[in-house]
Amino acid sequence: MAKTQKPGIHRGVSTYCWYPLLNVNMDLEDSFQIMQDMGASGLEILADGIIEGYPYPSNAWLDKWFGLIEKYGIVPVEYGHWVESRVYPGRECSLEESLEQLIRDIKLANFLGFHCMRTKLGVIDETLTPVKNWREIIKAALPYAEKYDVVMLPEIHAPTKLKSQMIDDYCQFIDQEKTTHFGFNIDFGVFQDKNVDGTPRRGGFFGEPSQPEDIVPLLPYVHCCHAKYYNMSEDFEETTIPYRQVIQLMQDHGWNGYLLSEYEGPKKTDLYHCMTQVHRHQLMLKNILGE
Amino acid sequence: MLEMEALQYKGFRNLYNDAGEAIGFQVGIRFVNYRGPWLSQFRFDNVTVDGERFGADKCSFVVGGIEYTYEEMLKEGRAKWPLNEAAMIRVQKPGGLASGNHVVSAYYKEIASYLPPRLDAMDPSRPLGGHEENTGYTREFIIV
Repeated sequence: MAKTQKPGIHRGVSTYCWYPLLNVNMDLEDSFQIMQDMGASGLEILADGIIEGYPYPSNAWLDKWFGLIEKYGIVPVEYGHWVESRVYPGRECSLEESLEQLIRDIKLANFLGFHCMRTKLGVIDETLTPVKNWREIIKAALPYAEKYDVVMLPEIHAPTKLKSQMIDDYCQFIDQEKTTHFGFNIDFGVFQDKNVDGTPRRGGFFGEPSQPEDIVPLLPYVHCCHAKYYNMSEDFEETTIPYRQVIQLMQDHGWNGYLLSEYEGPKKTDLYHCMTQVHRHQLMLKNILGE
Repeated sequence: MLEMEALQYKGFRNLYNDAGEAIGFQVGIRFVNYRGPWLSQFRFDNVTVDGERFGADKCSFVVGGIEYTYEEMLKEGRAKWPLNEAAMIRVQKPGGLASGNHVVSAYYKEIASYLPPRLDAMDPSRPLGGHEENTGYTREFIIV
């Protein structure tokens, strides 16, 4: 949870919701204005798609950033970034090369006002197992995360299950290190039990969905969530994910943090469709949270 | 501003030397994606115009205002592909392209370490462009 944040569950938006439209139909200021319209103050950016000149933004861009944050009352919540392992053909990045990327992003996230980082590690297989030396990478970065007041969060994303060896390994690492600077961003897609057409979503690549109650033991490690949505109905319900059950459990257990809308349904290049879907999603969250 | 499609109309034209002779043409591309690769993660196979195929040995790439050969890009792991502007592929073709219609394809992708390594391979049997929602890897353009 961001230190400046009031207790409770808050609404936010990831720029992922409309990434194909950025620099085509709309710009960063349009994004902020739409968030203000919806009363969704929390922001996730995908750093290298949003920060002009990433990873070395100009002073002119930084002035624009801080000006827009203030003008629209935006709370920088999560800084999405990648620790790339396959940068050069034919070999994996060394520990030093991985740390160079990660520490640079920690400093930039802090400078831009973020406290959460969606830290995407390189993977080695079809079930998205992280690189073998992930513990070394994260452990070496922890002093920087402490100094710069950020928490690194792998995104737990389907087909990963909330009950799995990967999650157990992460929890064990956090407990051993006694750190509050590494945790989870849970992507609600892990709970998806229906397809957009209403048919059950079972088997195949994604297997069985995680159950809503599977999130409960992980909540102390969860700092923000990707409120994934695939299909918002005309009466403001998400038709593929058991939203009300998941959020009820989070409220019952006193979880504090931001739910960040993240659209992954069809027609992402259709401006009107994306805007309608995100407004429906934010209205659903507002209804569930009882604002 | 950019066009939604991967191949950009803006920038499509012949290239000339100081003597005024057409030495080739250029076509703009972008990644319809939420992230850009480090330049060493760019993978390119060819640009094809009206059935004529141009591999990396006939092309250079202007990314972020700097021109690279493909070999130079593969070594550049500290420069990021800028998502908010088109990159230009400059293609060597003495005489350039004739005035009129041309069907242009470009085959390229990015390496993404957060996806299974299997996806790193270029599959020449299908068009590529960085993301499944890309709406156009082949477009028809006019040279004036």
